[in-house]
Amino acid sequence: MLKIIHCEFAKLKRKHFVFLVILAALLFPIPMTAMFLLLPRLHDKYPTAAMQFDGMWQSVLGFGIQMLLPCILGVLAAILFFMERDNNTFKNLRAIPVTSKQMVVGKIAVLFIFSIIFCLASTIVSILLGGVFFEVTGVFYKLWMSVLMGIMVTAGTLPLVIVIVLFNKTYIFSVLLCIFYSVLNSFAEFMMTELPKAVVFALPVPLINLWSSNDMQNHVIMGDADDLLMFKSLDLIPSTKLTFTILTVMAFTSVGIIIYLYKKWEEC
Amino acid sequence: MNDFIIKTSGLTKIYGKQKSVADLNLNVRKGRIYGLLGRNGAGKTTTMKMLLNLIQPTSGKVYIFGKDMGTGERDILPHIGSLVESPGFYPNLTGTENLKIFAELRHMTNQNAIKDALNLVGLPYKDKKLFSKYSLGMKQRLAIALAVMHDPELLILDEPINGLDPIGIAEIRSFFRELCDVKGKTILISSHILSEISLLADDIGIIDHGVLLKEESLRELEKQNMRYIHFGVSDSAEAAQILKTTFKTQNFHVEDEHNIRLYELSLEIPKVNRAFIEKGIELTESHVCEDTLEDYFKKITGGVGIA
Repeated sequence: MLKIIHCEFAKLKRKHFVFLVILAALLFPIPMTAMFLLLPRLHDKYPTAAMQFDGMWQSVLGFGIQMLLPCILGVLAAILFFMERDNNTFKNLRAIPVTSKQMVVGKIAVLFIFSIIFCLASTIVSILLGGVFFEVTGVFYKLWMSVLMGIMVTAGTLPLVIVIVLFNKTYIFSVLLCIFYSVLNSFAEFMMTELPKAVVFALPVPLINLWSSNDMQNHVIMGDADDLLMFKSLDLIPSTKLTFTILTVMAFTSVGIIIYLYKKWEEC
Repeated sequence: MNDFIIKTSGLTKIYGKQKSVADLNLNVRKGRIYGLLGRNGAGKTTTMKMLLNLIQPTSGKVYIFGKDMGTGERDILPHIGSLVESPGFYPNLTGTENLKIFAELRHMTNQNAIKDALNLVGLPYKDKKLFSKYSLGMKQRLAIALAVMHDPELLILDEPINGLDPIGIAEIRSFFRELCDVKGKTILISSHILSEISLLADDIGIIDHGVLLKEESLRELEKQNMRYIHFGVSDSAEAAQILKTTFKTQNFHVEDEHNIRLYELSLEIPKVNRAFIEKGIELTESHVCEDTLEDYFKKITGGVGIA
């Protein structure tokens, strides 16, 4: 399996989108740092440099990782999954033999690895900027949370990959699907208190956001402690066990369906 | 069974109501080049895909190296090199980079295998040219390199000379011949170009509308079926009647009003000549001729030429 994953990375050589994905990790830390430095309203909310950094990092997680990353993963999934179809390489792989299951697992492993790299890069850039302009605390927790975020967001984005593979259309259509998925998640996040709990927990971004907010309160200075108290009072905070169970079921079901769909592609 | 590297029994593939391949019994002998001949859409590619387990047969079995492909894919496929339909590679990679990916997936350990395979097909090693910039002929050569780089016992090649220039075709032909004669490889090659198959193959299978109409060695075909006696007569219908009644044979073909081909070579020409003349038929010529493979193909498929 390691060879299959290595080959999946080798196939991405000279694909400029992949380099841009890593650059996209800088997209939010830089403007967020500027915002936390320059906006007086945020200085009132976060009076110390350490609080400002934690607030900035949480914003990077919220915007960059939880909102932007599913879109990036969707487009990357389209590149990975359409590659064999577009280049007519299914037959070469099947004749080795590499099974559909191995192909799908290899490609999904690449998605997880990229996601973790993206999240770590976002946090490392935030830490570097924080070291210059603010005061950085809890580095290891933040790095660990980034890795977890990478894993959780990818697992939660796999249902989107099913839709991309199911429709089997162009890259533009896939980008539209990604945007729709992101908007759907953002909408659910803003309407968390209004929507049924099952719907909130079925969508990865609100689920991960609720779980991570609760987990972070012991490690990070929270800017929105009141919101967290409200979610707790509404019994909207999922336990660690429930969060990981939902995401694991989501991931394994998605992988099973993607393997089934990929097998169908092959025979066409 | 052991004499045959490939053996299929009742191999059938149905798409909707269309029978793409019907009850195919293919027998490919070890160390031979088998040419599968057929028009476009005759079922050659579908057959090859089923042999490689790329598509599942509707019914029937494929045995390769004496093992059932349905259950033994993992053991069988590593010993096969294949080229099916157009060459498929990653356009953003060079030829060498493409082969490296497939070599890694094949767990190949021979460091020189890629270089050797590229040398064999006349492509440069570690060239910087991306696959997307390759000409059709170069793409085809790279596909052949991919098929042979792991030194397989069996090659299954679907129209491998497509896109090659005449010199390239001759080079690849002698390369395949050498693989078979010197290294003892078995090659199943499909083509709709009869001249190529007649120059290359030891055994021939003719497929039409998904049905394998004939399977024979080329030598046997030349000896038996491709030779005939040509008669130029005043009335070919009358002559046909004499062949049926007097000589009890149906093995002939009326070309037009004045020409008739008799494939029953055991009949003595003077006797047939005499019988025609005695019945008042004027005879303008009678001699033994030899069919080209194309003529034979027309006869077998009952239609026009292959192309």
